[in-house]
This record gives sequence, structure tokens and C-alpha cells, in this order.
Amino acid sequence: MSTAHVLLGLLSGGPRHGYDLKRAHDERLPRAKPLAFGQVYATLGRLERDGFVAEAGQERDGGPDRTSYTITDEGRRHLDTWLSAIEPPAPYVTSELFSKVVVALLAADAGRARDFLVAQRAAHMSRMRELTTAKSAPGASVGDVVAADYSIGHLEADLRWLQTTLARVADLQKEVTS
Amino acid sequence: MRPSTLARLAVAGNRTDVLRTVLTALSAMLATIAMLCAATVLSIRGYASRYTVQLLVEPGLRPGVAATLVLVALPVLALAGQCIRLGAPARDRRLAAIRLAGATPGEAVLIATAETAVASLLGSVLALIAYLVARALPAAHDQHTLPSDVLPPAPVLVFLVLLVPVLAALIGALLMRRVIVTPLGVVRRVRERGPRPWPGLLIIVGLPMFAVPWRTDDVDWARNVAYVLIVGGTLLTMAGVVLGVGWISHTAGRLMRRFGRGPAMLLAAQRLITDPWNGSRTMAALLVAVIAGAVALAYKALLATQFRYFDVFNQMMGSPNGEGMGAGAEPDFYFGAIRLVMVAVGLSAAVAAAGLLVALAESIVARRRTYASLTATGVPRRTLSASILWQTLTPIVPALLLALAAGDTLVRLIQSSFTIEGTVPRVLRVPVPWADLGLLGGGALLAVLLAVGVGLLVLRSSTDLEELRIG
Amino acid sequence: MSALLSGTGLVRGYGSTPALRGVDLAIDEGEIVAVTGPSGCGKSTLLHCLAGILRLDAGTVTYREQDIGLWSEAARSRLRRTDFGVLFQFGQLVPELTAVENVALPLLLAGTGRREARQGALGWLDRLGVADLAEQRPGAMSGGQQQRCATARALVTEPRVLFADEPTGALDVLTGEQVLGEIVGVARERGMAVVLVTHETSVAAYADREIALRDGVLDPTGLGLGVTR
Ligand SMILES: Nc1ncnc2c1ncn2[C@@H]1O[C@H](COP(=O)(O)OP(=O)(O)OP(=O)(O)O)[C@@H](O)[C@H]1O
Ligand SMILES: [Mg+2]
Repeated sequence: MSTAHVLLGLLSGGPRHGYDLKRAHDERLPRAKPLAFGQVYATLGRLERDGFVAEAGQERDGGPDRTSYTITDEGRRHLDTWLSAIEPPAPYVTSELFSKVVVALLAADAGRARDFLVAQRAAHMSRMRELTTAKSAPGASVGDVVAADYSIGHLEADLRWLQTTLARVADLQKEVTS
Repeated sequence: MRPSTLARLAVAGNRTDVLRTVLTALSAMLATIAMLCAATVLSIRGYASRYTVQLLVEPGLRPGVAATLVLVALPVLALAGQCIRLGAPARDRRLAAIRLAGATPGEAVLIATAETAVASLLGSVLALIAYLVARALPAAHDQHTLPSDVLPPAPVLVFLVLLVPVLAALIGALLMRRVIVTPLGVVRRVRERGPRPWPGLLIIVGLPMFAVPWRTDDVDWARNVAYVLIVGGTLLTMAGVVLGVGWISHTAGRLMRRFGRGPAMLLAAQRLITDPWNGSRTMAALLVAVIAGAVALAYKALLATQFRYFDVFNQMMGSPNGEGMGAGAEPDFYFGAIRLVMVAVGLSAAVAAAGLLVALAESIVARRRTYASLTATGVPRRTLSASILWQTLTPIVPALLLALAAGDTLVRLIQSSFTIEGTVPRVLRVPVPWADLGLLGGGALLAVLLAVGVGLLVLRSSTDLEELRIG
Repeated sequence: MSALLSGTGLVRGYGSTPALRGVDLAIDEGEIVAVTGPSGCGKSTLLHCLAGILRLDAGTVTYREQDIGLWSEAARSRLRRTDFGVLFQFGQLVPELTAVENVALPLLLAGTGRREARQGALGWLDRLGVADLAEQRPGAMSGGQQQRCATARALVTEPRVLFADEPTGALDVLTGEQVLGEIVGVARERGMAVVLVTHETSVAAYADREIALRDGVLDPTGLGLGVTR
């Protein structure tokens, strides 16, 4: 996911300055990693170089200099292309979980792999419980719910995989160690 | 639970439930009327020459008239019992769901029996009103054709009016005990062991009970004890035949599953095994009517033999016609009376056949979902029709034979032969009225076939795939 | 303090099929417990035994320090319209009654007046988003709408324990979330305990704790890992 596109999206509502952008980003994407200021300015610099944003003015009310930016037509076109592009469904299994199971079978035995799967399932389950509690809490905003749903969906997929793999460890071991 | 809640839950039902209520009330009414008439006849005292109807005049004949009336009431009573189970699967489901919502077993019984009891009470009260109105009609008074001048004692009237509702409520509560046990109801019914042939015992006990008062002339029976033994023996025998259908169905189903060929027989066999009581429920009234008919026919044979005996005896004694030993009236009078009985039995058989039709159609409608899904999975309608035919006829044929045999045996126990004393004793045996019994059995079978035919028409509309969605 | 509801050595079979073979568990007030496990492992049977609907072959179910196995059928039935709410996979609405009558049924059985019961029932139908179906019979509703009516009926008595068997089995994700949200909300507001039978992890995640069954016994390697809040 690219921060640049999120910033372009935020700017498409009107000019904003750096600090404002960071705050909006963290608020709209509650469960994403918070943006660092440095990253905001670096990204804005890159976008300005490519002609997707332009400086819109300076604000100077007592505090430090605040440069606000606005999205250019070029920038809108770029954002539009990105929005229309289909993301390739993840073609490679790069999961740490999967690697660990295979390595456990190679380096130890099925018991070890099973222990890992059981412990991992517990961890996943309690994370999922946390997210579910958060999302069903009385004051949860729609943004919170949507963000939690995203993580829950992924955790659920992992959990399903953990559970079925648990049932298949013995067979997998035969295959790996043959 | 408030009465208003009870009322709401008792009448919550679909069209089948309405039909059940109406039929229950109707059959309760007919049965009560017949019993009220019987009680009236029994209330006449002494030689009553004031009546124009010969049967009512002689004290010796009146118990026979009353017995005939009760005999007519029995199939109608059986019909009332049969009505209680109409639409039962849907009602069981409803009661189970109500139980799950927190109704106690007692409340569930209350809800189910309230409807039955109220419907039959309504019927029997209507019967009482009709009876009293008919008595009060001036025409009845003037001509003294009917005993409108006697009234059974009030306690007897009350007893007769309450008899059917109480019986109906009791039978209803008894039949429901399986549903009451579990609120999971139909969703989880553990398959039980098949029925055992113990109803045979009822027949074995009922027949001698009936025979005792006839066979022991020397004992001075209290009249009422004799009545109780005769009526009780008849009832036990009838109950034995009706309940025996459960075992017959189950056994027939097992045999059919083993030796049957083709999907229709397989479907029918499994149906008979899983619900062996279906036959008892649908055929009860018809079987009781057939037993009553067999009794009347056998009695006709007995009478005919007796007259032949008188003739032979008088001839031997050289008495001229009209003198010597004989009955109180011309033989034609008695045969006329028997014909009257047969008309009455025919009437109740017609009622029973109607009941059979309703019950059969209902049992098909109750299973429409299964039939519809079978059709949806490609089972031809012809196969379904054949399976319904098999599952109905397989138990009914042996059951009819049993009913005819039981009816004939009852009468045979009164007297099976006459011995003419003389230099060479001659024994006149009462013949088995094969032709008459065959006609009766054939007629009953025809009625069943007709009912199945109509049922198959119902099946046609029940296998619309639309029915799959109806709960 | 002892648990609100507990089962000890629960054994139950159907004919020769054993369904529960010795299960122990305890549930505290306000606690939501998920019961998970593969199909046919005895989840529904466990639920029915705990709710006093099925009789046990052996073992005891204790509710508020009373052995409800010793109670009469009638007393246990009455429990279902005061303290226990039941929500099953299917077959619990009375087909001949309308939605609002169905929901009001436990109140009516308990002797509440008709108008009051109806008012309460309408409120719950509304909370579950099926108020517009109040006068419909179950036959005219979709599976999910029936499920929501059933939920309303289970909650209308404000029970202390809710027994829910796959309450979202027939629902799409969003509707399921709404139903679960109501159940969890009531549990949190009023300290209602919930026994939640499910095979979906996302549903089990609503619980504070998970119990896994396998072939009628608790699974100790615990796919049911008792991680508490
Ligand atoms: N009425 C019954 N008669 C016979 N066996 C039954 C009955 N009900 C359940 N069983 C058996 O008991 C076992 C447990 O059934 P139960 O319904 O409790 O399973 P479950 O865990 O709820 O399954 P599912 O997830 O499919 O609903 C199963 O093996 C089932 O075959
Ligand atoms: Mg289940």
C-alpha cells in the first residue's frame, strides 16, 4: 500500500498542510501504522517533484511555517489510475507461519509443529477476541469497525489454515521427511 | 397461564385444525344422540303397549334395540377418537415449540386437550339440545311412535353428555405423552421399538368376557353386570382389532422390506415401519363399523338357524303352522329388525368411510413436503402413488379379515348350534355367513380404495414444488 | 463464589450412540463461553443438557447451587420462561403464531398481560430489525428473519443465561453481526451469561472463553484454549 496515494486521496478534498495530513491519515486508517512526520514531508516532496501536488500557500500565525499543498490535475489522473487498477491476488505464499511449520518438521517432529500451531492459534484467537470486543464496543465508529473487520478477516483466514493444518501435520511430516 | 392465553394457543391452528374441531364436534354429537336414544329405550318400563313400534313394546326386545343403538354409536365414537389425531404432526410440532418457550408438560396437555374437550362438549351439548327439542315436538307426543314420554334420569343424561368429552380428552392426553416428554419434539425423536402383538390379548380377554353372560343361564346375573360384561367384551375386542393394526402394519412393513421389489414397495415398507400407527389412526372407525356389521350379519345367521330349528322341531311334533314352539312374532319381523340394524351399520360405515377419506387425505397433506422433495429429486409420481396404495392396502386387508372374524366369533359365542332332541339327535349348526361377510369386507375395501383414489388426487397437488417452502 | 451454572461429569447418549462422555464445565455470571468442535461432537447435546431440556444419563447440572436434574419437568420448563433463554438451530417458532405472538409467548405463559407482553415483544423485534414483520407468520419469513425473531424471543424474558445454538447459522455476515451485537450487548448490560455453540471462529471470538469438544469430551490440547479476557 502506498502512503503517497492515501495523501493524494486526502488532498483531493481540498488543500491541507503536513501536520493536518498526518492527523487525517491516522484518523481515517485507525489500525494502520501511524505516519511519522518525516515520512509525510518526504512523500510530499516526492509528489511535488512528480507534479502530482503543488504548494498552495504559507500560513504563519505565530507558530512555525506551515506550507499547505493542493492536488494537481496530473495528481488526480494518477490517483484515478491507481484506483482503477486491480491488485494482483497474492501469488506467493510468503507466510512466516507456513515456513515455521515446515522448519519445525524438518528440525524436530510433528509434536513440535503441533505445539507451535496450537500456541499460534491461541494467540490469533485472543487477538481476534480483542478486535471483536473493540468493534462491538458501544462507542465504536464505523471507521473502527471497518478497520477491525479487515484484520478479523485476515486472522480468520489464518485461523482456518492453522486449524486444518493441525489436522494435516502428520501427513505433512511424512511428505517433508520422506 | 391466563385463560385468554390458553384460548389463543388452543385455537392457534391452520385449516386442518379447524377441520379437526368441526369433525370432533360432529362425531361427538352423533355418538351422544345414539347413546341418549339407547338410554331412553332402556328407561321404558314393563310391557308398553302404548307404542305403535313393536320393538319398543316388548321388554325382551328393548335391550336389543338399545344394544343396536350403542353398536351404531361405537363407530362414531371411534371416528371421534380418530379425529383427535387429525393434523397431529403439525400440532405436535406446535406444542413442542410452545414447550420450548417454557410451557410445562401440564400446560401443553391443557392446550391440546382444551380444544378437543371443548369441541366434543359442544357436540354433545348440541346433541342434548337436539334430543330435548325432538322430544318436545308435538308430533312425537300424539302418535306414540317414539318413546317421547320417558326421560332417562338426570344423572344418566349428565353422564352421557360428559362421556364423550371426557373420553376424548383422556385419549387425546394419552396419545400426546410422547410429545410432552421433550420440547425438542419432532426435531429429535428417537426411533422406538416396533409395536408388539399385545393388542391380541385384548381380543383374547374380550371374547370370553362377552360370552360369559350368555353361557351361564343358571346364574342369576344382575342385569347391569351382564350389560357391562357384554359391552366391555365388545369394546375390548374392537380396541384389540384397532390397536392390532399397529403390529400388523409393522410386521407387514418388515416382510415387505425383506421380500418387496422396487422403490414403491421399499418406500411403503419403510413408511409402515416408521409409523405403524397410521393405519390404526385412519382405519379405526371403519374397522369398528365392520365389526359391528359382522356382528349383525352373524346374528342374522343365528336367527335364521333358530327359526329353522323351530320349524324342524314343530314338524317333528306334528304341530300345525302357527302353533307350537316359536318366537314372539313372525320371522319377517325379526329379519326386518336386522335389516334396520344393517341400515344403521351401513350409516355408521358411511360416516367411517368419510372419516377414512379425511384421515387419508390429511396424512398425505401432512407429508407433502417429503413427497414434494421426492418429486423434486426425480421420483415419478406413479411410484409415489403406488407406494401409497401399498402402504394403505397391505395392513387393511389382514385387519379387515381380523375384524370380520372377531365380529362373527362374538355372535358364535352366544350360540353356535341347536340340538334337536329325539330318537336321533340332530344338530343344526349356525353357518358362517360367508357371502354376507364377503360382501361387507368387499364393500369396506371398496371404500378404502375410493378414499385412496381421492387421496392420490390430493397427492397430485401436494407434489407441487411450491410445497417445499411451506413449514 | 461458585459458578452460576456448572456441569459435572455430564454423560448422555442416544440409544447406543454416546453423545457426551463426561464433560465438566462452569460458567460465571455475565460470562460468554463459546462451545466449538467438529460436526456431531455433541455441542447441541451439551447445550440441551445444560438448559435442562434433555435428561442426563449421568452427572449433574447445577444452577445457582441447585441440582436442576432433580427438578420436575414442569419446574425446568418454568426456568425457560424466567431464567433461561434458548435459541436453536431451527424449529423453535410456533408456525401458527405471528412473529410478535411468538416473541410474546414466554411472557404470556408466565402470566403477563396480553398488551404488556405484546409491547415488550415489539420492542425486541425492533431492536433486531424485524419490527416490520411483526404480524407475519414464520412460514412467510426467510430463514434469517426467523432466526432474528427467535433471538427476540430468547431475550424477551431478560434471562440470566442464554443458550444459543448456531444463532447466526442462517444469517449473512452483517445480520449475524447485528444479532450477536444485541446478544453481547445484553450480556454486558445485565450480566447475562451466554453459552454460544458455533463452528465459526469469528463468532467464537465474541466469547470471553472457548471450550472445545471432540467426540463427546472436552478437547484438552484445547483447540479450546481457555484464554480469559
Ligand atoms: N435424536 C438423536 N438420536 C440419535 N442420535 C443422535 C440424536 N441426536 C444426536 N445424535 C447423535 O449424537 C451426536 C451428537 O449430536 P449433536 O447434535 O450434539 O452434535 P453437534 O455437535 O451439535 O453437531 P452439529 O455441529 O452438526 O450441529 C451425533 O453423533 C449424533 O449423531
Ligand atoms: Mg448442533
